[in-house]
Amino acid sequence: MHRHDVVVVGAGLAGQRAALAAIEAKRDVAIVSKLHPLRSHSGAAQGGINAAVGKEDSVDTHIYDTVKGSDYLGDQDAIEFFCREAGPTVIEMEHFGTIFSRAPDGSLARRPFGGAAFPRTIYAADRTGLALLQGLYERLGTESFTMYEEWDLTSVVVREGRCQGIVAFDRRHGEFETIGAKSVVLATGPCGRVYGRTTNSHTSTGDGIAAAYRAGAALKDMEFVQFHPTALLESSILITEGARGEGGLLKNGIGERFMSRYAPHVLELASRDVVSRAIITEVREGRGFPGGYVHLELMHLGKERIESRLQEICDFCRTFAGIDPVTQPIPVMPAQHYMMGGIGTNIRGETNIPGLFAAGEAACVSIHGANRLGGNSLLETLVFGKQAGTAAAEHAEKTVDPQVVAADAEGEAARVGAMASRKDGEEPQHLRIAMQATMDGLVGVFRVPGELTQALGEVRALRGRYGRVRVIDTAKSYNLNLTDALETGNMLELAEVIVAGAIARTESRGAHSRVDFPKRDDANWMKHTIALSGPDGPKLSYAPVAYTRWEPKERVY
Amino acid sequence: MAAASMPAKFEVYRFDPSKDQVPRYDTFTLDLPPHTPVLTALLKIRTENDPSLTLRYSCRSAICGSCAMLINSKSRLACQTQIGPEIAAHGKIVIEPMRSQPVVRDLVVDQKPFWDRYRRIEPHLKLDAREPMPVGKENPMTPEQVERFKETPRCIACGACYSACPAVEADPAFPGPMALAKLYRFVVDPRDKAQKDRLVRIQPDGLWLCLRCHLCTEACPKDVRPSERIRDLKEMAIAAGGLSENGSRHAHAFKENIGEAGVLNEMKLVRQTYGPMDLLKSVPQGIKLARKKPEILKRPHPIEGIDEVKAIYKALDPEAEGK
Repeated sequence: MHRHDVVVVGAGLAGQRAALAAIEAKRDVAIVSKLHPLRSHSGAAQGGINAAVGKEDSVDTHIYDTVKGSDYLGDQDAIEFFCREAGPTVIEMEHFGTIFSRAPDGSLARRPFGGAAFPRTIYAADRTGLALLQGLYERLGTESFTMYEEWDLTSVVVREGRCQGIVAFDRRHGEFETIGAKSVVLATGPCGRVYGRTTNSHTSTGDGIAAAYRAGAALKDMEFVQFHPTALLESSILITEGARGEGGLLKNGIGERFMSRYAPHVLELASRDVVSRAIITEVREGRGFPGGYVHLELMHLGKERIESRLQEICDFCRTFAGIDPVTQPIPVMPAQHYMMGGIGTNIRGETNIPGLFAAGEAACVSIHGANRLGGNSLLETLVFGKQAGTAAAEHAEKTVDPQVVAADAEGEAARVGAMASRKDGEEPQHLRIAMQATMDGLVGVFRVPGELTQALGEVRALRGRYGRVRVIDTAKSYNLNLTDALETGNMLELAEVIVAGAIARTESRGAHSRVDFPKRDDANWMKHTIALSGPDGPKLSYAPVAYTRWEPKERVY
Repeated sequence: MAAASMPAKFEVYRFDPSKDQVPRYDTFTLDLPPHTPVLTALLKIRTENDPSLTLRYSCRSAICGSCAMLINSKSRLACQTQIGPEIAAHGKIVIEPMRSQPVVRDLVVDQKPFWDRYRRIEPHLKLDAREPMPVGKENPMTPEQVERFKETPRCIACGACYSACPAVEADPAFPGPMALAKLYRFVVDPRDKAQKDRLVRIQPDGLWLCLRCHLCTEACPKDVRPSERIRDLKEMAIAAGGLSENGSRHAHAFKENIGEAGVLNEMKLVRQTYGPMDLLKSVPQGIKLARKKPEILKRPHPIEGIDEVKAIYKALDPEAEGK
């Protein structure tokens, strides 16, 4: 049995930043992660990180753009705090060693991004996530803490009304272990892999969100799923919004720059929900290319600019699609990209369970509301990772030792032992693929009531079948088949919450677009969805949105 | 866009140290379009044939560095390697774990040796209290300073270079291509205040153990070109620390020798490379060699085209005239 003051689960940007904050507060800190820190999904972020540091720009404009982008579902007090922290956060990362792209005068370069009034997105070519991850990892490497690497989180221990630690599966040694903690920070990333067509890593399976949900944490706004407009056709590999920020054009099958119909003022640089709907509409109305897609054109930008500012994109296109963006258009379609929802927290990362904190994409503060702006998620990981780490350290300082018992891990071992002892049963990968087909086909950019109901039925049937899931691999060390089973169970629980929330919300707001309720309904729906785990599935309730200065208006781009 | 499928034969290394005495190779034949990434094929095998096949993978877009392995004996990322060209060149696709790291199971290796060597170069900014960072602002950088960051920030720490490197395999003192490319990244960083110290210390700490075979550069999936960064480090290290090591003296003597005669003067090379103690140790080997090849004892005649060699030296380094 292990014990620490603060246990951070997840070693991406939010987790590492939380750990650093707790270490600086002189707590004994451990990080638990199923991936080596540098393999985290944060590293896949391409375009950049927003901070209103330009002379023409202002923090207020960043706040307004974020509020508007959220379709007025973001909490304005949280957004104000978030945008004020942006400048200092980026500077801190530069001081940690992050290698950013530079303007000719040596200052941090900025590029335009969707939904932003000014060029506000600071970047490192088209690998900003990787650059930040390297900078933070190098900084964290100078501190001392305990690392549990390639451990899968399986449950959050809540006893006497507070979080007392976690149970995790040590892949290498094939053992379930209890880790007692006065504070636990979940920074485990999203559950994008509930979809098959997603830009997310294979490992983005929502383990932390699901463990928190099972432990009684409230999930917030899970029906709000962002589809990135430009993913490579077959592989759904992300093509950064930075490609449009640099001047890339979207064209349909008859050569039209079709965004003029949907966002006459800013065209390709409208908010992501708007651009994704536009692409799907073009294809549905027969103006796509045969097979159903549109083109992203960069050719007019010239070889030098494409290859220097979109270096990774060039490689992706050449390797994964066999096309050269310098001379050929890129075939793209929207794909699942980001979960606006997650474990509900306040500005300090606190959840409804004392001692349990969350940050990053696993959490929902909420600053993104119904639709996240590009460049705001990297910033979120760092701003709220630090907040959660600081709050977790403070909580640990005034909390007595955790009460964890060996039985916590034994219970998890028994649950999984049953999966391994079945002579026949359901294979986790088959359930996962079936779930992804349901979510891709029925819970996409446009939501149809009959399809959502069907999806709920299918997901519930899969959850039923999951009761008979079978782990075939019998090896003790590095049993990936067992990890498959754990992840699939987590995702099925979260898919149900996503669909239930989408059925209940009878309006269209941001990324949630109901064909039977095409308008935003502020009178009835300007509220957060709260989901608690119940015996018959998610129990939904609603919570008010925090307002400060910005009255809801119609969103026009 | 759909391309015709082709049969692809995979021979996959399988080993579970807890129950297998020796590794085995399992064969799987799949029908796949030629542009299919190897990773996609391996995941298909896991789903349809054998869920116990064990490998690391995550992003499937060559940015997380998880899926480095040997593909037909080359260290590559599985997500970035397409099956068509492999089948065309080899008739099959042999999949094995990376080299120089112990196998945990199947294609999963223990990367601890790789990370340990990486940490030896102290991979973090070193600051100087006398030169604090600007308050509330970024450190400025000139375009020339930025230009030096062209390759190294692309490193995804996948370990392909480490696996490909014969010096890593031969000598635990060698930090390895990734660690040295990372060292270069800190040495050229204007924010780092330990440039000279890093360069002086890396000379005895393994810099000269690089064999200059460039296999790391061939293996690198992100075009970091570690061997070129190591070459840059060697130049900078000599500039900072002088000819303090056998390795640097050897390089320098080699250059001088060729410049003089266009051919190596072995006796002089040995004298110039080794300090007195090492020179003494090399005597028995020298005697053996002299018995077999007595001509090495003689001073070589300049080669026929020596004027051209001298012209090349002059063109490369005009200021060296008369030195």
